[in-house]
Amino acid sequence: MPTGLSPTFVGLENYKEILGLPELYVSLQRTFTYAFIAVLIKAVFGLGVALLLNQEFRGRGFLRGIAIIPYALPPFICAILFWFVYDYRGTGNIILETFGLNSIHWLGYDHAMFSVILVNVWHGWPFFFLGFLVGLQAIPVELYESAVVDGASSIQKFRHITLPLLKPVFFIVCGLSLMWTMGDFVIPWFMTGGGPLDATLTIPIASYKLAFLTRLDIPLASVYNVTVLPVYLLLIYYIVKKLEVGT
Amino acid sequence: MSRIVTFVGVVLILVTIGIPIYWPLKTSLSPPEEVWEVGIPKNPTLSNYIDILSSEIPKGRMSEVVGTFTVVSPSALNPLKNSILVATVTVALTLIVSSIAAYNLARFSYRGKRFVSLFVLFAYIFPPFILMAPLMFILSKIGALNNLIALSFVHLAYTVPFSTYMLRGYFLSVPRDLDEAAYVDGCSRLQVFRKIIMPLALPGLVTVAVFSFVMSWGDVVFSLVVLQTGENFTLPLYASSYLWGWEITDPGGLSALAVIAGMIPVILFLSIQKFVRMGLLAGAVKA
Repeated sequence: MPTGLSPTFVGLENYKEILGLPELYVSLQRTFTYAFIAVLIKAVFGLGVALLLNQEFRGRGFLRGIAIIPYALPPFICAILFWFVYDYRGTGNIILETFGLNSIHWLGYDHAMFSVILVNVWHGWPFFFLGFLVGLQAIPVELYESAVVDGASSIQKFRHITLPLLKPVFFIVCGLSLMWTMGDFVIPWFMTGGGPLDATLTIPIASYKLAFLTRLDIPLASVYNVTVLPVYLLLIYYIVKKLEVGT
Repeated sequence: MSRIVTFVGVVLILVTIGIPIYWPLKTSLSPPEEVWEVGIPKNPTLSNYIDILSSEIPKGRMSEVVGTFTVVSPSALNPLKNSILVATVTVALTLIVSSIAAYNLARFSYRGKRFVSLFVLFAYIFPPFILMAPLMFILSKIGALNNLIALSFVHLAYTVPFSTYMLRGYFLSVPRDLDEAAYVDGCSRLQVFRKIIMPLALPGLVTVAVFSFVMSWGDVVFSLVVLQTGENFTLPLYASSYLWGWEITDPGGLSALAVIAGMIPVILFLSIQKFVRMGLLAGAVKA
């Protein structure tokens, strides 16, 4: 157990070391790639599904239930499900082969980031769907009715009624998800452990590795955390302000 | 035209959700020689489930599947018990702490209350990985490492801010007139809380219990820090033992484990589906 020596005061030594550590810059870059791409895909897919399941048709209630299953499964279970997808003999390569493409190593250096993002998207999109659905249901039907009277097309209705009225929900949902995706430890940890060759070394993984795996240096890891904290605090500040308006 | 769009959309949703789930479901029912074959299992069997839940895994079968490696893994029974224990204790503690905290936010007014409510929100979105290193430090100082009940207490860091925030909304929806009427009838504050507010907020309490259970059930971040020896591992830590150099050693067993561990949260969520939509956003979205 890495309890280490009794603490000694080292001044700013640790900060000097952390700024010279390549992991710091790599992890920042990986985290932004991971979080922004994942949130973008989740938002687009979630919005699509919410619009679809806001329509009246038979089996809608059933589908709304089914749609929360990926979100109900804890992230580590989603990771296990995708171990089977990304295995060389697994579902991913079978799908590629049916389309006449070559098998790939899903978690190899070139594809790892994309594959891990896909797991996060699969787990996280129902959160967007549910948030957007709540937002859509809060839009009064009369607005659409009067728009139809004025001769608006469905694209115009979407552009001028749905989107503007969905904006507050949109920012809250995206903000929360961005926060959680940037702080997501479980999915990258279970899929790749940050590898291969730091290809998916996001901030949470880097922090864990410094403290418990490569360096076993809890003070250094704490300094690392403090160094990246402003990124998170800015986002938290933004979200809390948005949420407080809502309550 | 719009019917075609709807149909295509529905198929797309079902395929997206279905593909990753189908494979482990199928594999968990297949005998070892069929685990990597597509389609429905030709000789369906429950042996994967029986094997991981029996107290000892037949070693012959394991080495057969793994080929050159012989991985002797104890059964999933013990981790399952640990996970259930930790999650149940977490739910009980969460209900006690967060209902009192939410009552405070819903019924009292005092200087600095705005700061307290903001702090609850802050804790709700704060990324837990930052707490790993300090947690190690604190727990080793007080000698609580490798203790399942200590892990339950640590899980309150996830569950209490969320539950407090959500229960506050439910408590606020109970009209104050009811409180007043009860006070006139001679009830004490505690009686009003127990006999009026709690029963009326029952849906909220159930939702909070389910969310807390699932959060604790799926926790990896804190379990990695707190739990150190195999006999105390919860399901997520135990599941990693099915990988050998990022290769799945026993697909049948692992998929059965995933089905068992995934079934519980899904059933819980679907049974409170109505409240999930409100719960996810913790009453934040009033659009």
